[in-house]
Amino acid sequence: MTKRHSEKPAGIICGMILLAAVFLSACGETEEAITISLEKREEIAFTLQVPALTYAYLPQYSHTESFQRHHRLVEYLAEQTGLSIRQVFPDTFDDHIHMFGQGKIDISYSNPFVYVKLANRFGARAMTRIIEEDGRAEFRGQIIARKDNREIKDISDCRGKSWVAVDPSSAGGYLFPLGHFVDHGIHLEDFREVVFSGGRQENVILGVYAGLHDIGTIREGSLSVVEDKIDIDQIRIIDNTRWYPGWVYAYSPRLSQEAAGQIRDAMLALDPENNPRHREILDAARFIGFVPSDDRDFDPVRELSAKVGLDLE
Amino acid sequence: MNNIFSNIFSGLRLKTKITLGVTVMLVFCGLGIGLILSAMSSAALLEEGRKRGMALTSGLAFRMAEPILAVDFLQMKNLIDNVHNQYDDVVYVFLTDAADNILSHTFSGGFPVDLLGVNLDGQKAQPLLLSTEAGLIYDFNAQVILGERNLGTVRLGLSRQEMDAQVRRQKQISLLSTLAIVGIGIMLALWFAHTVTFRLNRLRRSAEAMIEGNLDVQAGFPLEKNCWDIMACDRNECPAYKDTKQRCWHLPGTLCPDCSGLEHPHKMQSCRRCPVYRTNFGDEVQELAEAFDVMAITVKAHIEELTAREKTIARQQGLLKTIMNVTPDFITLQDRDLRYQFASKAFGDFLGLSEEDIVGKTDADLFSEHQADLNFHEDKQILITGQPLSKQIAVNRPEGRKTLHLIKIPVYDQDGGITGLLLTARDISILKKYQEQLIQSQKMEDLGRLAGGVAHEINTPLGIILGYTQLLMEEIKDENLTNDLKIIEKQTKVCRKIVADLLGFSRYSKSAIETVDINASLQDVIKLVEHVFFLNHIKIFSNFDENIPSLTGDIERLKQVWLNLLNNAADAIGQEGAIYVQSKLCAHRQRVLVSIADTGKGIKEEHLNKIFDPFFTTKQVGKGTGLGLSVSFGIIQEHGGSISALSPPPREYLPDDFPASVDFGPGDFGPGDFGPGTVFIIELPLEPTMESGRAPQ
Repeated sequence: MTKRHSEKPAGIICGMILLAAVFLSACGETEEAITISLEKREEIAFTLQVPALTYAYLPQYSHTESFQRHHRLVEYLAEQTGLSIRQVFPDTFDDHIHMFGQGKIDISYSNPFVYVKLANRFGARAMTRIIEEDGRAEFRGQIIARKDNREIKDISDCRGKSWVAVDPSSAGGYLFPLGHFVDHGIHLEDFREVVFSGGRQENVILGVYAGLHDIGTIREGSLSVVEDKIDIDQIRIIDNTRWYPGWVYAYSPRLSQEAAGQIRDAMLALDPENNPRHREILDAARFIGFVPSDDRDFDPVRELSAKVGLDLE
Repeated sequence: MNNIFSNIFSGLRLKTKITLGVTVMLVFCGLGIGLILSAMSSAALLEEGRKRGMALTSGLAFRMAEPILAVDFLQMKNLIDNVHNQYDDVVYVFLTDAADNILSHTFSGGFPVDLLGVNLDGQKAQPLLLSTEAGLIYDFNAQVILGERNLGTVRLGLSRQEMDAQVRRQKQISLLSTLAIVGIGIMLALWFAHTVTFRLNRLRRSAEAMIEGNLDVQAGFPLEKNCWDIMACDRNECPAYKDTKQRCWHLPGTLCPDCSGLEHPHKMQSCRRCPVYRTNFGDEVQELAEAFDVMAITVKAHIEELTAREKTIARQQGLLKTIMNVTPDFITLQDRDLRYQFASKAFGDFLGLSEEDIVGKTDADLFSEHQADLNFHEDKQILITGQPLSKQIAVNRPEGRKTLHLIKIPVYDQDGGITGLLLTARDISILKKYQEQLIQSQKMEDLGRLAGGVAHEINTPLGIILGYTQLLMEEIKDENLTNDLKIIEKQTKVCRKIVADLLGFSRYSKSAIETVDINASLQDVIKLVEHVFFLNHIKIFSNFDENIPSLTGDIERLKQVWLNLLNNAADAIGQEGAIYVQSKLCAHRQRVLVSIADTGKGIKEEHLNKIFDPFFTTKQVGKGTGLGLSVSFGIIQEHGGSISALSPPPREYLPDDFPASVDFGPGDFGPGDFGPGTVFIIELPLEPTMESGRAPQ
């Protein structure tokens, strides 16, 4: 009897372990598969997109940033005007200018410098200017350096330094500061080097922050874009340029006046004060409203170009 | 079936059982744990594979936002191909826009349209397992999300083959590892079983040696350090000192300072703190072996003690048995049911049975019905009353009538109850005989005194009668009267002879004390009768001890005794026979022994006690007066000796060749012609103890 008592629990435990093991080991094998064939092939053509007006944002930020800022506004404009509008993404400033020239962009949102080029070259027509978050319809450029760079205290110290700018077509990020340097007697050849960051404001700030370059030039307000990426307290603003007319919406001469008018009206109809959806659209686009504009607003830019010797044709 | 396994299992050696048990446990546990771990790791590997696939897909989806926005088909294709080419197990990748248009894919030769029918919803649990011609494929769906906008979907197909191969490899490794661990476990089990069973076998061998009677065993292992080494002790008087067989904590009376004089197991409390115990105490098997050694020593001591006691008891038993067997008394012990528990050898011999035949039986089995019934009632009476019984009984035996003095006493136990009956019986036939002889002697003495008195009184009137008769004979001339007177004179003389004999028997006569040569006196008498006897073909042999010194006594009276005895012998023989006369000095008893044996008709046993009585005779009327032996008895008694008769004579009183001696004369007679014969034995003291004789008053 004693023998049986002592053997039973051991046998039961062993059996249970083995049973549990078999069950557990079987668990992973019960995944059911759906049977399909990879042999049934068909050539699939891209379904052609319906014709639409194209809307492009001068690629000073990444495409995703551009998309996130503007897709609500694009949807709003399409909705308001009943037109089919699609956002397109040029890779560079030049790309933007070329696409506009090729008719691939109907509505261009660009800086005043690019606009002047578009207007001069392809007959672009300004319809609205944006009101910046500081309430102004103008903007200016900023010269930045690392806070701990003791060699640069004011604009005169920029001579002989390495300068990173946004793009040769950038207004706030290149032209405005260049005009400002010229006004202070510093010309392009006075810099040790001038490099461009490929049209990205963020890259200028990061280049200075990393210490790759002594000074950088950006449009005002760009620092807030990277405030969640770097410690912007380490960046010091050396100087600001004078104010220039701000970013502008222009339309292609191929676009009908009617459509342009509908679009302008829709822009001007945005009422962030009273319409939460409008405020949401404008918050995403990082400006607070529109003012009507025409080509003459941009003469100061033309003058600046002439001053620094840039060819706008 | 169970019984077969049980029998086979119980027949295995312990080492095999332990190894087998541990092996089975290891195999079960190893397989169990191995299978569980293998299943878990397989699941983990698959999960890892799924996560990897999901990560690839999500990463691709993240990177696809820009090219989708830029409608950069080249970049889309590059990104897709990059992933597809980089990993062998990525079967396919394709990208759709928000309207499910295929933007880019890695297939060549058309797109498998079945893929567009499955796993469309990226919100569902991913991946989806597809069974295809290329095997099992995990299909991953990751949406290209920007903000809240869905820009498109990346679908990635990851082959399960690589994962399954990994799982298989992992299972093989698991199996091999499990087998290796089980193998090592079995080796360890073997070692463990050997370690345990080695000591148990040692214990078993010790036990077997004990069964064979060898108690000088040691099951425990000798210690590396003994208590006197550890304690640096040199106290010879300590019982543990130099005792390598027993552990000091098992021994009483050890002299350690902490031992406190207690015995095992009471001293254990202090021993457990002792450095000796802490150094030398072992596991249960060692404790068992040591306890076994202690047991063996204790058992040995007990057995030696028991053996010594047994020897003592056996010696005493042998002694008792010898006493019981040697004693001529009957000793028996009966229980309350009157069954014999013990019977002495004498009792057995009396009944003609051995002790074994008697023990366990009752009187009904051993005696006649009448005797048994008598004994039963007698014994029961004693058992009931507790009164002992003492009596004499007469038993007829082939060798004659025996008188037994019998005592029966009850046997009491410790509580005072009667448990049985002890019987002792002694043959008092000899005593009885002596008693009768004593009475006879007394009677003879009284008779002698009476006869002497009577004879003395008669002697005087007889003298007067004879005197006057002789006077008358001288005076009367008448021949007839003279003849009558002569008859009176003759008969008076006969009477006076009888009276003189009576006076001789009663020693109312004078004795002449002088130095006597016994051998010479015997030879004188033999010479006197030899010739006469020869005429009757009776031959006399003699054998005299030359060392017999002279005695003090009355030679004539002694000669009368010899003559009486020789005449009696001749009378008993009648015609043809032999008489053997022997004298012998019994130096240590200071006595002379004379025996006169004959080949006559012998004396009947019942007459032996009476032959010395006056006037007792078996002779024909007129042949004897019956006073010869009485007178001889008186004479010998007067000399301080004794006379006795035995019939037939024992061999020691006869020569070796008697009566078939060649000297006897060939052809004269054969052995069958003789009677049983009689021997008369006379003992005379060397010292002069002869009574002076009681002269008549």
